[in-house]
Amino acid sequence: MNEPKFQCIGRPLPRVDALDKVLGRAVYAGDISFPHMLYGKILRAGVPHAVIEEIDISAAEAMEGVACVLTARDIPGINRYGIAFPDQKVLAEDKVISIADPVAAVAAESPELARDAVKAIRVKYRALPVVTNPHEALAEGAPALHPEGNLFQYVKIRKGDVAEGFQQADIILEDTFQTQVQDHTYLETESGIARMDKQGNLILQTVSQGPFRDRAQVAAVCGLPQNRVRVIRATVGGAFGGKDDVSVQVHVALLAQATGRPVRLVFTREESLTTQTKRHAIEIWSRWGVTKDGKLCAMEGKVYGDTGAYAGLGPFVVKKCGIYLCGPYYIPAVKVDIYTTYTNNIIKSAYRGFGVLQASVVHEAMMDELALKCGIHPLKFRIMNALDVGLDTGTGQVMKEDCGIKATLKKMREVVMNDPTLKTHCEGLR
Amino acid sequence: MKKRGIGYGSMFYGLGYGFSRTDIASATLEISQDGSIIARSGEVDYGQGSDTVFCQIIAEELGVDYSAIKLITADTDVTPDSGPTSASRLTFVGGNAFIKTSRSLKKILNGVAEDILGASDLVFREGMVFSRSAPEKSISFKKLAGRAYARGVPAVVTEWYNNTTQDVDPETGQGDAYATYCWATQMAEVEVDTETGRVEVLRIVAVTDVGKALNPLNCEAQIEGGVVQGLGYALEEEIKEEGGYVKTGTLGEYMIPTSLDIPTIEVHLLEVTEPKGPYGAKGVGEPALIPTPPAVLNAVRDALGLRIHKLPANLENVYHLINGAEAGN
Repeated sequence: MNEPKFQCIGRPLPRVDALDKVLGRAVYAGDISFPHMLYGKILRAGVPHAVIEEIDISAAEAMEGVACVLTARDIPGINRYGIAFPDQKVLAEDKVISIADPVAAVAAESPELARDAVKAIRVKYRALPVVTNPHEALAEGAPALHPEGNLFQYVKIRKGDVAEGFQQADIILEDTFQTQVQDHTYLETESGIARMDKQGNLILQTVSQGPFRDRAQVAAVCGLPQNRVRVIRATVGGAFGGKDDVSVQVHVALLAQATGRPVRLVFTREESLTTQTKRHAIEIWSRWGVTKDGKLCAMEGKVYGDTGAYAGLGPFVVKKCGIYLCGPYYIPAVKVDIYTTYTNNIIKSAYRGFGVLQASVVHEAMMDELALKCGIHPLKFRIMNALDVGLDTGTGQVMKEDCGIKATLKKMREVVMNDPTLKTHCEGLR
Repeated sequence: MKKRGIGYGSMFYGLGYGFSRTDIASATLEISQDGSIIARSGEVDYGQGSDTVFCQIIAEELGVDYSAIKLITADTDVTPDSGPTSASRLTFVGGNAFIKTSRSLKKILNGVAEDILGASDLVFREGMVFSRSAPEKSISFKKLAGRAYARGVPAVVTEWYNNTTQDVDPETGQGDAYATYCWATQMAEVEVDTETGRVEVLRIVAVTDVGKALNPLNCEAQIEGGVVQGLGYALEEEIKEEGGYVKTGTLGEYMIPTSLDIPTIEVHLLEVTEPKGPYGAKGVGEPALIPTPPAVLNAVRDALGLRIHKLPANLENVYHLINGAEAGN
């Protein structure tokens, strides 16, 4: 019998969720409602660094239709959360360190009432000096934003002898790049709806990239064992890393727990843009050495990542940027120093590409400049230096048969060489 | 004046968490008495297509229709923990969990079928189970499920796939940090208006090593989406923070690409097999996006002979780059 190797794998089949989405049947968290539901709203600091002298919620609490106004003292569990490192306060205590810091949470009978109640809360701040980039954060005398200081993480990459590597180089180039902050801009903003069941279990339907990670954070804040918290992902309208960290989850859960009623919390686009996690701005300096016949011999780099007021997944992102600074190329000697710092900017965390995107902007710029200096076609220069079976990465991992970089480069060479419009460009490529 | 340029961007990306961070997925399959299947996974499909791939994997292993499988995901009371959706890990880690689970379930059903049919060379295909050498010895998958239930064999199977790697040397960062890597190269062709600083991307060619395209349509779509996101990063998207305040609080100030900004995107899928991957597959999610910005920025450099150091290459930055350089000459 002559059977095809696969029956279902490798076929361009329609997605199982396509019809629901096209026909509008998919249910997002913001679409869900329950009888007697309340609407949540969060009051945020609005100032980047300040001591809280007074919070007055009396006017908000007295408003008709306001079910509850929560501040830090109303939290049954711990006033801490964070996807990897619990350095975020659920509600501010004595101090705020970013404009996005939640200070109070309100549940009311309508979204408008909730918004008005938040406006009626009076907070007196005493402003503190602001740290806005890694160099300011690391400078002597900079205000410490967390008890451990502003340097969250320092990582070293050391491979071979860099001094010797640069001695072998005929051409050495160095440059500094500054990448920007990017928003995920998913169609669906952060949203969730929480309720208590009759047995005292908390049920949360929400945007999520990891419901078990959300559950762990919500349970700790609500003072419940994890098996009393049920997190269900609603249909998620895009995430790209931006729904990895907790967004609405802990606050909407607290409001439902405090009122005993279902509470829905949906962030506006402005809240999403100005308070939720973003891609890291990273400053990257690097120096590259190459022989005149086009062989990379050494690379040295310094990576400064600004993770904002809280770690999020920032230490992993920034570390990854430094680890990938060599790109998919073989370099015998490597030295990279990687700094992840806190600042008073808003939190930065996961975003599709996760630090490797920032690294690629730099290693690919440097590869082009080096190729130009060597007088070698940039694509050819990449093929000459690409990782291959038996060669190791900047972090010493030896490549096996699954190493595919040369295959992609050679395919690209084939594509451009077969394109009659690119004849001039292909000179010197073969 | 309009100047044209061509640029390349290559990348590699370690799949999964690496560095000894927990990287696990579990998957459950339950077979009903009528042979219909309920699958459970803790993974979230937030639009990238993992639900479809998981159904394809189960269908491949058990010889059933992929669209008839009921897949329940990401409900902490109902589904097992499969780790978060990130690090381009779902097809690899979650997919491997479903292969293991499907094969365990198949082994149970195969034992029952061998007994009923008196044959040991059984094939599961298109809803039937039959002997390869004597195809007339056959039973429908539906009937087999009923017979298995009657015999009281397990109808629920859960398996676990652990992709946790070793950590690296803390002093040097050296070691086998990742289970495997993904690879991609892209080419961008751009036209830069030297009067206004406007960069128009004419074409992107994306070559991605996906290991094995489990669903080529999905791979292409994911790569196209990544390219668009990369174009936004390269050319316009920027959250501006000044003194700790965010200055771009609306979509009127924070610009993202629209359909009018999208060039021709040519996708080529390569399949350099990863032996540990499900059917050889690697991840696609992040490799889709990463090569686009460097390719575009290198194309701008090629067009102008000048390089942007502060991203993005938006109108303002490119305009200043052109004029600053002219003033310097």
